[in-house]
Amino acid sequence: MDATTKTEVVCWSCHAAHSGGHFCAACGKIQPLPRGTDYFVLFGLPQKLWMDCAELEKLFHQLSWKLHPDNFVRASEYERELSLERSSQLNDAYRALRDPVSRVEYLLAHAGMRKEGAAKQQAPPELLEEVFELNESLDELRLVRASSRDGAELAALKQRLDVEEKKFEAKLREVDEELKRIAREWDTALDAGADAQQGMALMARMNDVLNRRSYIRNLVANVQKELAEA
Amino acid sequence: MGRTVGIDLGTTYSLVAYMEGGRPRVIPGPYGTPLCPSVVSVDADGSVVVGEPARRRLLTQSDRTIYSAKRLMGRGVADVQEELKLFPFRIDPGSQNVIRVRLGDRVFTPPEISAFILRELKSWAEDFFKEPVDRAVVTVPAYFNDAQRQATKDAGRLAGLDVLRLVNEPTAAALAYGLHEKQRGLVAVYDFGGGTFDISILKLVSTGQGDIYQVLATNGDTHLGGDDIDNALRATEWEEIRKSGLNGFSRTGEDAQVLREAVIAAKHELSVVDKTFVKFPAPDGGWYKREITREEFERAIAPIIERTIGPVKLALADSHLQPAQIEEVVLVGGSTRIPMVRRRVEDFFGRKPHFELNPDEVVALGAAVQADILESGVKNMLLLDVTPLSLGIETMGGVIAKIIPRNSTIPASAQELYTTGVDNQTGIDIHVLQGERELAKDCRSLARFQLRIPPAPAGHARVEVKFLIDANGILQVHARDLRTAEARSVEVQPSYGLSDTEVEKMLEDSIEYAEQDFSERQLIEARTEAESILLATSKALADDVATELAPDEPRDIDAAISLLRAAMMGSDYKLVRARVDALNQATMHLAELMMNRVLHVAVEGKRLEEV
Repeated sequence: MDATTKTEVVCWSCHAAHSGGHFCAACGKIQPLPRGTDYFVLFGLPQKLWMDCAELEKLFHQLSWKLHPDNFVRASEYERELSLERSSQLNDAYRALRDPVSRVEYLLAHAGMRKEGAAKQQAPPELLEEVFELNESLDELRLVRASSRDGAELAALKQRLDVEEKKFEAKLREVDEELKRIAREWDTALDAGADAQQGMALMARMNDVLNRRSYIRNLVANVQKELAEA
Repeated sequence: MGRTVGIDLGTTYSLVAYMEGGRPRVIPGPYGTPLCPSVVSVDADGSVVVGEPARRRLLTQSDRTIYSAKRLMGRGVADVQEELKLFPFRIDPGSQNVIRVRLGDRVFTPPEISAFILRELKSWAEDFFKEPVDRAVVTVPAYFNDAQRQATKDAGRLAGLDVLRLVNEPTAAALAYGLHEKQRGLVAVYDFGGGTFDISILKLVSTGQGDIYQVLATNGDTHLGGDDIDNALRATEWEEIRKSGLNGFSRTGEDAQVLREAVIAAKHELSVVDKTFVKFPAPDGGWYKREITREEFERAIAPIIERTIGPVKLALADSHLQPAQIEEVVLVGGSTRIPMVRRRVEDFFGRKPHFELNPDEVVALGAAVQADILESGVKNMLLLDVTPLSLGIETMGGVIAKIIPRNSTIPASAQELYTTGVDNQTGIDIHVLQGERELAKDCRSLARFQLRIPPAPAGHARVEVKFLIDANGILQVHARDLRTAEARSVEVQPSYGLSDTEVEKMLEDSIEYAEQDFSERQLIEARTEAESILLATSKALADDVATELAPDEPRDIDAAISLLRAAMMGSDYKLVRARVDALNQATMHLAELMMNRVLHVAVEGKRLEEV
């Protein structure tokens, strides 16, 4: 069964029952990490997508003080192992949750709902025309570069690509906004006690947005690379 | 139990420091200076000489003496070919993945040579305290990879020291400065030493418990330092010597060391005065003497100094910061005494850098601070450092799956689930690499190992492998059979260090989404996607919720898995995608069951612990 839903475990050292937290309430010894612990749970947070980043950082620092291997240099080998396990997971969790996009990625992946799908390859329909234009400009750029003759032509082309690239950067910001909107819907749905169907529908939508986002990001990165090389 | 010290194991000099009355101090050696030249010499009778006397022997017995051995740590013979053109290392022909250096008629590995230096410093400290010293915090360049760190740790063990922690040099310096200046906010540490260059961006935060030194990003070049400046000066001077018609002066052996000492002396003087002489005793009994101006010096070294700026920009980009946002800049390492280096750093950041603490000593002082924190258990400071290079594993098609990105706070970990592809398969090969490129062939191999699996039908085995980078920046691998919950021992064969050219090449080319041939990329991505759904499916099947499936559902899922696996062996990406879709269909119900549970946990906002 899922460890995060377990309520009682027994301390390895003093055998007192405790809640499954980082330390035993009775003897204070660091405890093994329950398998499959959710990153949100690790910070004692609900699985909501809006977070106060300063607050999260504060929690991260507080937990780091307690769990970091520095505290266990002179402890038993077993406790050193536990500290390594706990502190590495804390760092992994903070890395995943501190950024709003990777937070969504994590939520979906943990629920088995992150599917990269064929959409990663295909331009989102509403962008088809612009993507086509961009690719044309890129081809031209490569041609001009290969022939390496006309400096003015190259400069003009670079400028055009730069303008087109900026459009996609704007699209990226739109996509981020869209993701934020669905994230807010998710938070509201959680508060309202949504059922599985609603949850899956929201996650599927977030998954789509993530796929579109990674397509556009790829595109932007490629153009930036070509521009930098030209 | 003996005492604990902090040691800066440097390319040119090494130092040992300790904490007294809340302040770190360096320990002076028998020659009155805390700087121990990182030079080792072996006598004809086999006895070993370390430090200043060994440095003098460079001029008389250069074939029995070695300097800058740190450059060889954690590397293979193929990695150091470039160094061999510039450094008089005599590599034993028998060496391969571990270099063996010849000193006279004896042969040593780089960790053994470093161990001689550590042992010397240990004895300095023992003479100073009049009691044994058996534990140490040792510093390493922040940009050192796994193999270089492991080699340093091995050196400590060889020297009879329990290495409590490896600390990154710029981070140690920040610790010493923080203690000294009570700095807060965003700090850049520019560490330009004898052989390596590091840049680290830190955030210093005061909390209720104490100060946190959180490294945001680090970058560097493990092949860029004062040595390179010296080599550039030697090259120009050699031309001048040739033109001057000086007879009988050789480019190798002891003469090379004479020239090296002469240009180093001139370099040091030019940090203070505007002109000086490169001078040394000539073979004819007279003196070779040529005036060199600071202007000429700066022209010669400008390209080397410029090479530090690339890593600085990368570290800032990874921290999502602009140069102007950095509140304090700290200079560390002997090469930052050069006025041109200070000017360049000041220009770049638009503010005056700090160099109040002796740039040769500050790293050792920081190591002593960290040693005290670990030793006393009384802690008012916490270092949160990062791993400099991304950790990845080779997947199908020779593509790297990055599992721990560079600049992740350490300790850091990643889990991967493995299963077998054919019936009765008894092993799964795993290849771990470090680097920023997309293909395994462009990254540096850290280790290969095989997971042993008891014979069973294909896909039955479920082995979880945990890759963990510990607080020293060193990789650990653990495996566990999910069906039996049994831990499996993993024997990891290290493949040794990265060449600098490779590290640099890796970074230069580390555009996250490097362009690839379209269909190759399609196939790689389809396979990746397939792997991620296979992983998610195995996880879900291993989960308790799977027991709620209808009796025929697991069979259907298994069938879809087998079909997908078969498709993944081929090169038709469309077929792979179609079968991914089919598996998605087959696991719909399972996904729903998983989702129900997520929601269950989510609405309760379950608090697993009271912090």
